Amino acid sequence: MSLLSRLAARQLLTQLRTTEWRALLLASWIAIALTTLLAVLGDRLERGLLRESAALLGADLVLSSSRPFVDDRLAGLPLNGIESTSVIQFPSMVGQGDNLMLVSVRVLQPPYPLRGALTTEPPGEGIPAPGEVWIEPRVMTQLQLRSGDMLEFGYQPLKVTRELLGSPDRGTGFRSFSPHILVNAADLDASGVLAPGSRANYRTLFAGPPEAVRTLEQALRPTLASHERLHALSTDQPLTGNALGNALGYLKLSALIALLLSAMTIVLALRRFSLGQHTRSALLLNLGLRPNQLVRVYLYQLLLAWLLTAAAGTLTGYLLELAVYQWLSDLLPQALPQAHWLRWLSGAALGLALLVLLGLPPILQLARIPVAHLLRGDTPPRDRTALLLQGISLLLLAATLLAFLEAPLAALGLLLFLLLGGALFGWMAQSGLQLLARPLAQRLLLGRLLTMRLRQQRRWHRLQAAVVVMLLTLLSVVWVSRSDLIEQWQAQFPSDTPNYFLINIQPWQKTDVDNFFAERQLETELYPMIRGRLTQLNGEPIKPQLTTEQQDHNTLRRELNLSWHADQPAHNPLVAGEWWQPGDTGAISIEQEMAKELGLSLGDRLGFDVGGILVEGEIRNIREVVWTSFRPNFYIIFNPEALQNAPSTWITSFFLTAEQRALTRELLHQFPSLTLIDIDQILNQLSGWLQRLGDSSALILALSLGCGLMLLGVTLLQALEQRRFESALLQTLGVTAEQARRLDLLEFLLLGLVCGLLASAGAEGVLAMLHQWLLRIPPRLHLELWLSLPILAGLIFVLIGGLIRRPLQLEHCYRLLRTG
Amino acid sequence: MPHLNREEPIIEAQDVAKSFRTQAGTVELFRHLSLRILPGESLAIIGRSGAGKSTLLSLLAGLDTPSEGQILFAGKPLAQLDDAARAALRLEQISFIFQSFHLLPELDALDNVRLPLEIQGRRDADAQARRWLEQVGLGERLDHYPAQLSGGEQQRVAIARAFATEPRVLFADEPTGNLDDDTGHQIIEQLFSLNANTGTTLILITHDIDLASRCQRRLHLHNGRLEEVTP
Repeated sequence: MSLLSRLAARQLLTQLRTTEWRALLLASWIAIALTTLLAVLGDRLERGLLRESAALLGADLVLSSSRPFVDDRLAGLPLNGIESTSVIQFPSMVGQGDNLMLVSVRVLQPPYPLRGALTTEPPGEGIPAPGEVWIEPRVMTQLQLRSGDMLEFGYQPLKVTRELLGSPDRGTGFRSFSPHILVNAADLDASGVLAPGSRANYRTLFAGPPEAVRTLEQALRPTLASHERLHALSTDQPLTGNALGNALGYLKLSALIALLLSAMTIVLALRRFSLGQHTRSALLLNLGLRPNQLVRVYLYQLLLAWLLTAAAGTLTGYLLELAVYQWLSDLLPQALPQAHWLRWLSGAALGLALLVLLGLPPILQLARIPVAHLLRGDTPPRDRTALLLQGISLLLLAATLLAFLEAPLAALGLLLFLLLGGALFGWMAQSGLQLLARPLAQRLLLGRLLTMRLRQQRRWHRLQAAVVVMLLTLLSVVWVSRSDLIEQWQAQFPSDTPNYFLINIQPWQKTDVDNFFAERQLETELYPMIRGRLTQLNGEPIKPQLTTEQQDHNTLRRELNLSWHADQPAHNPLVAGEWWQPGDTGAISIEQEMAKELGLSLGDRLGFDVGGILVEGEIRNIREVVWTSFRPNFYIIFNPEALQNAPSTWITSFFLTAEQRALTRELLHQFPSLTLIDIDQILNQLSGWLQRLGDSSALILALSLGCGLMLLGVTLLQALEQRRFESALLQTLGVTAEQARRLDLLEFLLLGLVCGLLASAGAEGVLAMLHQWLLRIPPRLHLELWLSLPILAGLIFVLIGGLIRRPLQLEHCYRLLRTG
Repeated sequence: MPHLNREEPIIEAQDVAKSFRTQAGTVELFRHLSLRILPGESLAIIGRSGAGKSTLLSLLAGLDTPSEGQILFAGKPLAQLDDAARAALRLEQISFIFQSFHLLPELDALDNVRLPLEIQGRRDADAQARRWLEQVGLGERLDHYPAQLSGGEQQRVAIARAFATEPRVLFADEPTGNLDDDTGHQIIEQLFSLNANTGTTLILITHDIDLASRCQRRLHLHNGRLEEVTP
């Protein structure tokens, strides 16, 4: 070991006793642990679910459609050496006894899958044999099934032969998250669950030599109809528009806060450290050490610190990842593959970047200390080079952080929000403190000293308040909203709000279904549903007549569910025009928001492509639709004459009390092809997701709070000498040690109270916005926040302040003042 | 405040010793040290660096406690006073002037002088502070911060702060140590003239023989012993 590294190791060992080095090590530890957690978890999620690699697509190329393929779809296509197979996927209720569950059914025929493999327990090849079903663990658990049990699949009971642990070709969007079951195509007809016109996704999977696949892709792409999509390895982007991708992005943004706080802690710790190193550096230089050797000594010291924290941080990241994975495991559709080994190093790499980029500027500054510092206490001027170096380091660090987050715009937005919010809260806290101290100053000696202290510490107070208020605000919002929001949103609905949707009712079943409900005195109204695409406005193609923003409107990008109805739906009040009279052909009714956003008004004529036929109608009235009413709602309703001959299925919704739930079984027994959607079950699933996401995010924010507390400690340290000097002076001027202590505690307590109040106000503000704009329900006050946050913040400041502040013995006061 | 006879000492050290424990063993700074300081006297303690002058000063001011013997302030043993009483003593009767001024950097000149008056709870703090700053010739620079003042001006603020509380005893520890000769000379003139006008007891620590000769008495601290220097 060279002299320089020995010196560095000894320096580090000595400095481990100082608060600033402890804070630095802890901050970099947390930063490394969090980065490791997110990099590894993110990679596993991406590999397991999001990246549509060949194994996940189950093929090289997938043609997907919302309608069955007509027989000659593949005729004339270049299929040289290409294998293909068909899959149908749709939602359905399956069950055993009284237990029913909404699952995503995949109907398969061999060969399947074309790429990747099905993982099952017990393991094996192929697909379920006719009469068999393979189900995912969640279905097993919820329906309390075991291998060998029978599962009711429409009219066809199927024997559970394997548990499905992992599978490619899960489909996209929400259906990829529902629990899956796999059945053989031979059982589909007998089950009667899929009738013509039912909502289903039809896929043809292709695999073969790359060149042949490319040729096929090129041949298929121009022939795609509006209801068809082509998924290819080359074109599908991972991580886009995906719920899990968004969740991961959200967690990474939460982690940005912790990373920023760690970076600030490290900057301030190094600042204090380097200020204390002036004499030592001058001495080492005086003893003959060259400036570049001095830089090396300090760099070694930083590298040693990095080695320590990288080991501890990566291990902590591993443990955290285990915990969070366990937490999410029952929500994940399948077990995730291990992360790439390089991802395990991301945390350590980011930690190295943090320490070196932030550490280099003060270290280089130390190398420029004049030896005369030993005699006269000179310090090197902070010239442009030093500032430039610091600027470059910070920019590099920002770039590293943004690259890690993979969402630079969102991160920049959050950064701006944090900076502006922090500045505002900091300023408000400082003003609040002064307001509070003013009446005290007139009554108490302590109050007068307090005003002086507040003035002296105002810059640090602003920073401390900004950090604590922002953290407590975010933590409270996440904590409250993780359960509260969905509950409150649900609480606003009347108790008889429909809790079931029934879809895929065929026209010939309509009367029987009506009778089924009438016999049981359940009020329902069935609406026909026809799929059609909006193509024309006033006889001309619609898109060229709209602005770019309007062209991207939700209603133009996909097929709409159209309906026809003689009477005005009771739950849709009119806001303009009048409902039509019987026989008034060519009249349509449009939903208010759609009309407004597309700039449509009464009298406009809209044309729809319904199964290749153009159907036109004139807007006669505009309806208000509350989409969250859980009733069948439509953007467009036609007069009956226009559409009643078009192929349709019917939809309805109804309310069942807990006691009436057995009816669903009866209903599905009588009509196995109907799809029943249990809204409560979906909401529970959703709120489960939000809660886990909230918990995970709260975990990250709690770690951020840890970083924030360290930062708080380090900022208190920065002014510690000033405080000690002031305390010494006050004590020689006649203040007792007890009064000096009370002054400190009063300052911390007041600062904490003000921060707590501001954080309560901030959290209420954000929650009110979420209520108002996201859930559209009136905001409510959270009194518990107003009580708990000021106490919590007060405790935080008093405890940390109490830990940092060391009592100053009277006999030391004079010595301190003498040594300056 | 008990009435004091001119001949009764304001500060008296009786057979005082002070030693420190260090890793190498106990170091004795001085022992059997006795001293009587009368009200209104001016007294210089001289000696080389490390002789223990500043330690003696902090003992006499009640900032530190002797290892043996006792210190009386106005006839009362300091050891009998609790923290609060000693703080009150410093607040009401003692002031300090330091070598490195020790002004609070974030307070302007006026606030620095006002501070001890505020701590005393005096209603006329503001007027007093202004008056004293005018006396030291800084009436025009009330709102200047320490960083905006020269060394000599900073020390004059410190002098105003020391006299503003009308102390009975003023301790000055190398008050010109950080100043050039001319400025130091002016400061000393000001210090002695204020001292003469107010009748304050002045205890000055210095290694400057000329400065010490301005005091009525001079004591030399050498090898742990205190000897009266006669002119």
